[in-house]
Amino acid sequence: MTDMAASRAGGRGSQRVWSLGALFASPALLFAAFVVVPLLALALRGWQDGQVADRLTSSFVLHALQLSFVTSTLSLAIALVFGIPAAYLLARARFPGYRLLTIIVELPMVLPPTVAGVALLVAFGRRSFIGSTLDEAGISLAFSTTAVVLAQLFVSAPFLVRSLQAGFEAIDPTFEDVSRTLGISELRTFFRVTLPLARPALLSGAVLCWTRALSELGATLIFAGNFEGRTQTMPLAIITAFESNAGLSGAIALSLVLLVVALVLLVAARFVTRGHRGAL
Amino acid sequence: MIVADIQKRLGTFELDVQFDADHETVVLFGRSGSGKSRTLAAVAGLMRPDSGRIAIAGRTVYDGASRIDVAPQQRNLGLLFQQIAVFPHMTADENIAYPLTGWSAEARDRRVRELKELLRIEDLGARYPAQLSGGQQQRVALARALARPVDGLLLDEPFSALDEGLRGDLRAELLRLRSDLDVPVICVTHDLREAHLLADRIAVIEAGRTLQFAPRGEVFQHPASRQVAELTGVRNIFAARGLGGSRVELDGVAFEVATPVAAGATLDVAIRSERCLLRRIEPGEALPPNCFVAEITSELAFGSTYTLRLDPVGPGPTVEAEVSSHPYDVLGIATRKRWVVELPANDLHVMQAS
Repeated sequence: MTDMAASRAGGRGSQRVWSLGALFASPALLFAAFVVVPLLALALRGWQDGQVADRLTSSFVLHALQLSFVTSTLSLAIALVFGIPAAYLLARARFPGYRLLTIIVELPMVLPPTVAGVALLVAFGRRSFIGSTLDEAGISLAFSTTAVVLAQLFVSAPFLVRSLQAGFEAIDPTFEDVSRTLGISELRTFFRVTLPLARPALLSGAVLCWTRALSELGATLIFAGNFEGRTQTMPLAIITAFESNAGLSGAIALSLVLLVVALVLLVAARFVTRGHRGAL
Repeated sequence: MIVADIQKRLGTFELDVQFDADHETVVLFGRSGSGKSRTLAAVAGLMRPDSGRIAIAGRTVYDGASRIDVAPQQRNLGLLFQQIAVFPHMTADENIAYPLTGWSAEARDRRVRELKELLRIEDLGARYPAQLSGGQQQRVALARALARPVDGLLLDEPFSALDEGLRGDLRAELLRLRSDLDVPVICVTHDLREAHLLADRIAVIEAGRTLQFAPRGEVFQHPASRQVAELTGVRNIFAARGLGGSRVELDGVAFEVATPVAAGATLDVAIRSERCLLRRIEPGEALPPNCFVAEITSELAFGSTYTLRLDPVGPGPTVEAEVSSHPYDVLGIATRKRWVVELPANDLHVMQAS
């Protein structure tokens, strides 16, 4: 029945779109070109350079690569631990101030990352109340790898929470009621029914969160600084390379790595989500 | 045995229902918004009442006074929802096995096989819900609800999302299962025919109250009030006045009834449309008792039955009569409009006016 509905909609759709298709084709193609051309240029320059592999094996690059992958994965892990319960509460619980909380959670998504960096520095920096207290305990946050993770977490976690909240909201609570009447506890119900049903939202949210953490620059630069091996992630390494002797060619090599990673992830996420739908 | 006494305030709506179910099928019957589904949710533990008491198989699962409130997962009931709620991310087998936690793989497989046989879905185990029809999905849901040994089965409009044909199949299936189940079954429905088919006893619920809770025949033949009569599909309800003895007067005609009435009492008298008789009398013959003359002013053909509207010629009430197609043809109702209508004393049900 759904197949029939889909084919009917498709049939109607293709009839209508045809006239609009011609009208919309030019702006759409121009926009596609605008996205594709710089990326192609990047790939082409890397090809012409011929030394991409060499540049990528310098210790400076390897450090940045390693740091980036470790910190963004850690950020995602922390975001999952705190974000899954938060997203579920925002989707299901109706408490006073929940609207305000939703806005606050989404705020870092629209906030310039540099502002986030300044805010983090003011709150957790050495001279802040929290920072100085931690300092006395022998923990220094600012300009450490921990600071990198905190900066990434701050700007990237909302992407996970936002996506998951929408995912949870789309699940009929009847499924959870059914599970409970079948003798399954609420916590088990969450892990056996709710979370699996939210899997597409979880996956896309996780991909968004991880890639956003990977590309984090502004907040990291201000809150964590730019120290090779400690806080210099890939985006910071690109800036550093761009401003150093290596110049543009170093930046191109690093950019290519991030581009490939982003592409692979996006395709993989699509593939996994579709696989799930197919099973449905 | 399930015993329920539930009070709950929801905004301006007040729920106050009492019923019990032994090893029988009790139907909670009412219109949508009457509170019957909420009553079921309270029994299942999905809605907490403000006060009252609910006991399942001798165990108190809710008591407002002593603050007992057992979680739904510990009430040991099977619940079938109106929305077909099989888990879309599990196969039919996985759905049915879902409640069987702590069972050995072997015992679980055996149980799943048994249930699939019982519900005649042996071949569908490996399929996902999206690959099943609505009726098959509801069978999977029913198998899942019955997988554990339960102390009661709750059905919330379980067939309303299905096509008419499938609905009939599943009702028959439920009647067949009913004899093996040996637990109370509580079924919520707004469908009069479904209520009649499934119920041993019926609780008629309207605006949050139990209007009548009685065996099926009692509710249908002797509705407790005009409201119950209306809800259970009685189309002829008249305001009447007691004449003493066992006689009432309605719309200027005296009728004999089966129960004694006080003279001057304000009454409601009801008769189901299939009980109104059409008769012919010889010209010049006096009208027999409980009869008046009327004319057919409209008729609706429903295939196997005809519904006739009869307006009185002279004194008497306007009645709706239902005639099967065979007598309709034999009597020649299509060509003759003026009839003597008899409302038999035994079918005239007298109620106190509300």
